[in-house]
Amino acid sequence: MNLYAILRRSGWSSAAELGEAAERSTRVGEQMPDDVRWIRSYVLDEGAGSVGTVCVYEAESPEAIRQHASRAHLPVDEIIPVADTVIVRPDPQPAATA
Amino acid sequence: MHQKGSDPVWCGGLLERGAELAALEEALAAVRGAREGRLALIAGEAGIGKTSLLRAFHDAHADAPTFRGGCDPLFTPRPLAPFLELADASGGPLAARLARAGTPADVLAVLSEELPRRGPALLVVEDMHWADEATLDVVRLLGRRLEALPLLVVLTYRDDHLDRVHPLRVVLGELSSPAVRRLSLGPLSPTAIAALAGDASVDADALARRTGGNPFFVTEVLAAGGAEMPETVRDAVLGRAARLGAAARRILDAVSIFPPRAELSLLEACVPGYPDGLEECLASGMLHPEGAAVAFRHEIARVALDGALRLHDRVELHRAALRALGRALPPDPGRLASHAEGAGDRDAVLRWAPVAAERAAHVGSHREAAKQYARALREADGLPPEQRAALYERRSYECYLTDQMPEALEARLRALAAHRLRGDRLREGDAHRWASRLRWFLGENEAAEREARAALDLLEGLPPGPELAMGYSNMSQLRMLARDAGDAIVWGERAIALAERLGEHEILVHALNNVGTARFQAGDPEGRATLERSLDLALVGGLEEHAARAYTNLAAQAVEVRNYPRADDYLGRGIDYCREHDVDSWRLYMTGWLARSHLDQGRWDEAAEAAATVLRYPNPAAPSRIKPLTVIGRLRTRRGDPEAWDPLDEALRLAEGMAELQRLAPVAAARAEARWLAGEVDLVAGETEETLDLALRGGDPWAAGELAVWRRRVGLRDELAAADLAEPWALELAGDAEGAAARWDAIGCPYEAALALTSAEAEEPLRRSLAVLERLGAARTAAAVAHRLRSRHGVRGIAVGPRAATRANPGGLTGRELDVLALVSEGLRNREIAARLYVSEKTVGHHVSAILRKLAVPTRGQAAAEAARFGIGKR
Repeated sequence: MNLYAILRRSGWSSAAELGEAAERSTRVGEQMPDDVRWIRSYVLDEGAGSVGTVCVYEAESPEAIRQHASRAHLPVDEIIPVADTVIVRPDPQPAATA
Repeated sequence: MHQKGSDPVWCGGLLERGAELAALEEALAAVRGAREGRLALIAGEAGIGKTSLLRAFHDAHADAPTFRGGCDPLFTPRPLAPFLELADASGGPLAARLARAGTPADVLAVLSEELPRRGPALLVVEDMHWADEATLDVVRLLGRRLEALPLLVVLTYRDDHLDRVHPLRVVLGELSSPAVRRLSLGPLSPTAIAALAGDASVDADALARRTGGNPFFVTEVLAAGGAEMPETVRDAVLGRAARLGAAARRILDAVSIFPPRAELSLLEACVPGYPDGLEECLASGMLHPEGAAVAFRHEIARVALDGALRLHDRVELHRAALRALGRALPPDPGRLASHAEGAGDRDAVLRWAPVAAERAAHVGSHREAAKQYARALREADGLPPEQRAALYERRSYECYLTDQMPEALEARLRALAAHRLRGDRLREGDAHRWASRLRWFLGENEAAEREARAALDLLEGLPPGPELAMGYSNMSQLRMLARDAGDAIVWGERAIALAERLGEHEILVHALNNVGTARFQAGDPEGRATLERSLDLALVGGLEEHAARAYTNLAAQAVEVRNYPRADDYLGRGIDYCREHDVDSWRLYMTGWLARSHLDQGRWDEAAEAAATVLRYPNPAAPSRIKPLTVIGRLRTRRGDPEAWDPLDEALRLAEGMAELQRLAPVAAARAEARWLAGEVDLVAGETEETLDLALRGGDPWAAGELAVWRRRVGLRDELAAADLAEPWALELAGDAEGAAARWDAIGCPYEAALALTSAEAEEPLRRSLAVLERLGAARTAAAVAHRLRSRHGVRGIAVGPRAATRANPGGLTGRELDVLALVSEGLRNREIAARLYVSEKTVGHHVSAILRKLAVPTRGQAAAEAARFGIGKR
C-alpha cells in the first residue's frame, strides 16, 4: 500500500455532520481492509462553521480512495501521494476524540 | 495462579480473545436465526492462536454439527486435503460422496447437501495459506453461494507472509460481502503474558518483548524452562525437545517428516524401538494424538525439528517411509512422490510423481499437477526421449492452464527438442503450434508468427490430420489478431474444410471463431452470424473455453464499433457463463472489456472496479492487462489523480510487444489525451503517428478517427478521407462540433460528447461541456475547459467542483444500482426485479450484492431502510 494525503475542503457544515461522516468512513473502511487504511486526519476550520479535512490514508490505489469516499459519501478534492514522512514531534493531544 | 473465570483477560479459557469469540457467536446466531450462511476469516501470524480460538469456540458450541479440515503444509499439497480430512473424520454418505466428487463444483454440491443435514453447521478450514488450487476453488464457490447455505464457514490463514501475488489473496479479495466477517488476531499484552506465566519465576515484560506477544512462542519458552531465555521460537522448541529422552527424540524426528501428521502404523514401521518414547512425547505436550495418528502441537515445532535433522537421518527416515507407504493400499501417490524425493530414490519419484500429477489435474489442482511433473522431470535425465517429451508436454499444459506462461513455453520447447531428436515430425510440428500460442500470450508476436509458420512447414509434408487443421486455425487466429482479415479468412477456411472432413468438432469451432471475427473486421455483417454459429456449437458441445472465446470476440467487436447495448449483453452473458464454468482467464479478459465499456458510457466507478478486479490477479497474461491498465490511466488523467503514467507506461510496453492494433490504439489515444491535459501538446504527434498509420492500413475507422481527432486537437493536420473515419470523429474533424456531440450522445458516450464540444468556438457549448465533465468527475478535464472559458470568453466566477461526482449518488451507488434498490425497497424479489428491468435474474443478484456491500448492510431489509434515508424507494 502507498501513503496518500486527501484534501476534503469545506466538506461539512458542522462538526456534528463531520462526526457522522467519520462513522460512515470507519464502517466502510472495515469492509475494505485490503484496499484502504485510514491513518489520521486533521480537521480544518474553514470559517462560518464549515469544516474540511486533510486525511492521511494508506491505499492500494487512488481508485481505492475514491471508492471508499464514494461508498462512505465523502467528498474528495485532491489525492496527493506522500513521498516521505518527517515527524518532528508527536501530534498534540486531540481537542476531542472523534 | 489467576482466577481464569473472573479475570477480564480470560474468556472461554483463552487470553484476550473475547471480542473475536463474540464475533463468531454473533455469526453462528445469524446462521441459526436467518438460515443464511456466514463466513469468518481469521488471520494472524503462525502461533498467534487461531486454532486455539476455534477450539474454544467449538467447546462452547459442541451441539453444532462441526466439520473441520486443514490444508497440508506440503510443497505439493494434496488436492482437496481439508475436505478429504473432514470426510474421513465424519464417514457415512459424506465420505462416500466426496470420494466420488471430481471437480470443485461437485465438492461444493456434496458439502451443501450433506453438511447441514442435522441443522446449521460449522465448517472450519484451517491454514488456507497452504491451500491447493482445487480447495481455493471450492472456497471461492462457497463464498458465492453462501446466502443459500445454513453454514458458518470459518477460514484461518497466516497473513504475515501473504504477499500480493499469493493465490489466496485473490480469493480473499473476492470474498467481500456483508456476510463475511474479517477477524485479525493480534499479539498478547504483557498483562496477558503475566497471566499465562502464572507463578513461574519469569520476567513477563522481557518475555513479552522477546516473543512479540506470540502465545505459542510464550508457552514454548515457559515449557523449555532453563536459565536463559531462548532467542528464537526455534531455539525454544529445540531446547524443549532436548530435555526429552533419546527414544522420545527419535519419535519426534520421525513425526517431523510426516506433515501434517504421522499415523502410528507408519511410526511403527519407521522407528526402531517403537513405541518407546511415544508416551513421553505425548505427556510433554510436544505431540498430541489425532485419531490413530500423532501431530506436533504446532507446525512451527515440526519445521524446527525437521530443520534440525541431520541429512543422513532424514534420508533414512524418508526411505523407511517410502517402504512403509509402498505397502499401504490403496497407495497415496502424492505422499509417495514426496518421500521418494526426500529419499533420493529416482525410480520411485518417476513412478509416483506423474501419477500424483494426473490425479491432481483430474480434480482441478493444476498448479499442484504442474509441480509434480516438475518433480518427475528433475529426475528424468536418464529416461528415453519419448517419455521425457511426454512429461514436458503435460507439464507445459498444466502451466498453461494456470497462467504460468514462461514455464509453459520452456517445457513445450524442451518437448519440441526431444521430438526433433527422435525425428517425430508430427509431434514436432504440433509443438511448434503450441509454442506459437504460448509466445502470443507472452506478448512475443513476431516469434509467435515464426512458430506458426514452422508448424505448417512440417505438418503440410505429412498426411493431413487434426494437427494440421489446428495449425491452419492457429495461423488464422494470428492473422485475425493482426487485423489481416484477408489472410485470416483464407487460413481459417482451410482449417474449417479439413476439420469438417475429419469430424474434428473442437477445431471447427475454433476456426469458425477466427473467420467470424475476421469478417467482422472487414466490415462484413455475416461475421456476427459466423461467430454466433461458433458460439452455439461450443455451447452445445460443452466446449467451455471456446464458448468463452466466442463471447469475448462478439463483445469486443461490439465495443470497438461502439454498439454498447449489444456489447453489454454479450459481456453480461459471457461473464456469467465463465463464472458458472470457472473459466477464469476468459472471465478476466472480458472483465477488462467491461471496464472499457463502463468507461466509455460514463460509468466511471464501475469501470474502476472492473479494472481493479482484473489487475488484482497476480500474473494475468499481457492481453488481459492492457485494457484495464488503459482504463485506470484514463480515469486518473481525467480526474486529476496521481500515478496516471504508471499504468499507461506498462500498457504501452505490453501493447508494443504484441504489436496488434486492437491493443495499441486505445493506449495511444489514452496517452495522447494525457499529454494534452498535461499541456505537453508537442508530444501528441509521437504518441499517435505510427498507430494512426496502422489503423488506416488495417481499415479500422474507429481507431483511426480517435487518433486523428487527438492530433487535430493539438493542431496537427492529417490528409484523411472522411470515409476512413467513423462518423462522430469525421464530423468533429469537419468542424461540426455540435453534430459530433449529438452522435456521441446518441451512441451513449457522454465524455466523448463533452470533448467534441470543446472544439466549438462559442461560449455556450463550452459551458455545456463543462457541466457534463463535472458531473462525470473529470476534474482535470473540466479545469482545462474552464481555463478556456476564462481565457477565450473572459468568463469569470466559474467554480470548478471536482466533488460533484462523488456527491452525485448517495452511498456511491450507480444509477442502475439505485434503480434496483428502489425496487428492493418495494419488497420485490430478484425474479420480479429482473422482469421489470429486462435483465437476467443473475444480473439482479449481482446488483443486489453490490448494493449490500456498498451500503455495508447485511440484509435487503436494511438496504431498504438506507434507501428511505436517501429518500428513494417506497413511493
